[in-house]
Amino acid sequence: MIVSAALCPSPPLLATELTGRADILPDLRTACTAAIAHLLAATPDVIAVVGAAQETATWNPDNRLDLSAYAPVAGGHGKPGLPLALGIGALLLDEAAYTGRRILQAVDESAQPGDCLWLGRGLAAAAPRVGLLAIGDGSTRRGLAAPGYLDERAIPFDDAVQQALRDSDMAALAAIDPDLARDLMATGRAAWQVLAGAFADASPATDITYAADPFGVAYLVATLT
Amino acid sequence: MGDVEPRPLRLGKKQFPPEQLLVMAIVNRTPDSFYRPGDTWDTSAALDRVHAAVAEGADILDVGGVPAKPGPEVTAAEEIRRVVPFVAAVRAAYPDLVISVDTWRHEPARAVCEAGADLLNDTWSGWDPLLANVAAEFDVGLVCSHVGTLTPRTRPFRPYFTDVMADVADRVLGLAERAVKAGVDPARIVIDPAHDFGKNTWHSLELTRRLGELTATGWPVLLSASRKDFVGETLGAPVEDRLAGTLAVTTVGAWLGVRIFRAHDVKATRQALDMVAAIRGDLPPARAVRGLA
Repeated sequence: MIVSAALCPSPPLLATELTGRADILPDLRTACTAAIAHLLAATPDVIAVVGAAQETATWNPDNRLDLSAYAPVAGGHGKPGLPLALGIGALLLDEAAYTGRRILQAVDESAQPGDCLWLGRGLAAAAPRVGLLAIGDGSTRRGLAAPGYLDERAIPFDDAVQQALRDSDMAALAAIDPDLARDLMATGRAAWQVLAGAFADASPATDITYAADPFGVAYLVATLT
Repeated sequence: MGDVEPRPLRLGKKQFPPEQLLVMAIVNRTPDSFYRPGDTWDTSAALDRVHAAVAEGADILDVGGVPAKPGPEVTAAEEIRRVVPFVAAVRAAYPDLVISVDTWRHEPARAVCEAGADLLNDTWSGWDPLLANVAAEFDVGLVCSHVGTLTPRTRPFRPYFTDVMADVADRVLGLAERAVKAGVDPARIVIDPAHDFGKNTWHSLELTRRLGELTATGWPVLLSASRKDFVGETLGAPVEDRLAGTLAVTTVGAWLGVRIFRAHDVKATRQALDMVAAIRGDLPPARAVRGLA
């Protein structure tokens, strides 16, 4: 069963090697660090990281994000690079010095909600005590300067996701429209629905610790117990 | 000249790694230098220039009391009067700043070393052999430059070379060797092809193109091209309109391994060098967010 869960976003800029000499979004980093600490405090047997990718697949837990894909000067580590969301999850676990068992589960970014929920139920059953780290972002179309430009539907969409979390309403998360999410470039949709499946009928206590769009992308950090 | 490892560079109290690109800011204590003559003739204006240069990222200050071009005589005593109190004032204000003095005579050289100078910029290519002895005595640095057949404060008249780079390399490496024999710390020796000095524009362009041959010797190379005539002739630009050309020379030099850049325009030079350093991968961007959010 799920003993704790955390939501974190997946901008590459969470890797400090990529942001140059500036300290970018220290408050977001702090929130992510705290969320991982929350996850680990429940002493899970395994941490399952879930994030969207081109296809549903389980990745080798030793793999990491290939920073050189984003900054060639950063150099590679010789291991196959993880999809971004899983790579950021692995990075956050590394930064917390977590060396325990981990499952790196990619979910097809266009997977139907039912498939996501099913995947979540499977992860919840992976061990007696599972910590779930769902990595993904909200809309990328929240303003004229946003990477995805402005879409008027973006802010209501992100507000609805936040409300569902705040209400611990897993059914509402499960009901997010995949087509709308795709239109809004909300890469977190599939991972959130995996999370909803993992909690099944439970109503975990949720705490949203960061919700902002400093660069036009909705970043959300939350913990669920 | 085979490629050898870049040599360490020590100036003043500091040691600079080979990949670090250094800006040497020009502060003239003259009424008649070629660019903005008399701009820092007044002591307080000169000190203001120092403060600005440091704030804009200068690593080294180059103080000169005698213009390179011909003109009214400046005696050694007058040069000392112009430069020494100023060096002392800068040293008092900036205990760790590397101070270079552009001089060719050993009397002013000795006096500035006593006042706290760290580097003797011998633009006139060892005209006074005692300069190296002063550098050795005070354990300060020495710039070994090339001027062809010129004597101090004269202009080139029909200079020619079979191979200008070979002539430059022969001279500056010979001077460096002489300096080491005189007891100068090898880690404090810098070589300078001295663009425009005893050269026509074609020669200076050739030297710029072939700077890699000088940097391959391992000695730290100083590039002194700021707003010089070869830039002006190349672009058909008067002295006040030579910044872009200067920065192009600066960029090419940095790419070819030059480590010190003597400059009037500190901020622009610093930016050009930081850009080159970032392209080389030696300096991360100040801030990288584009496409990473």
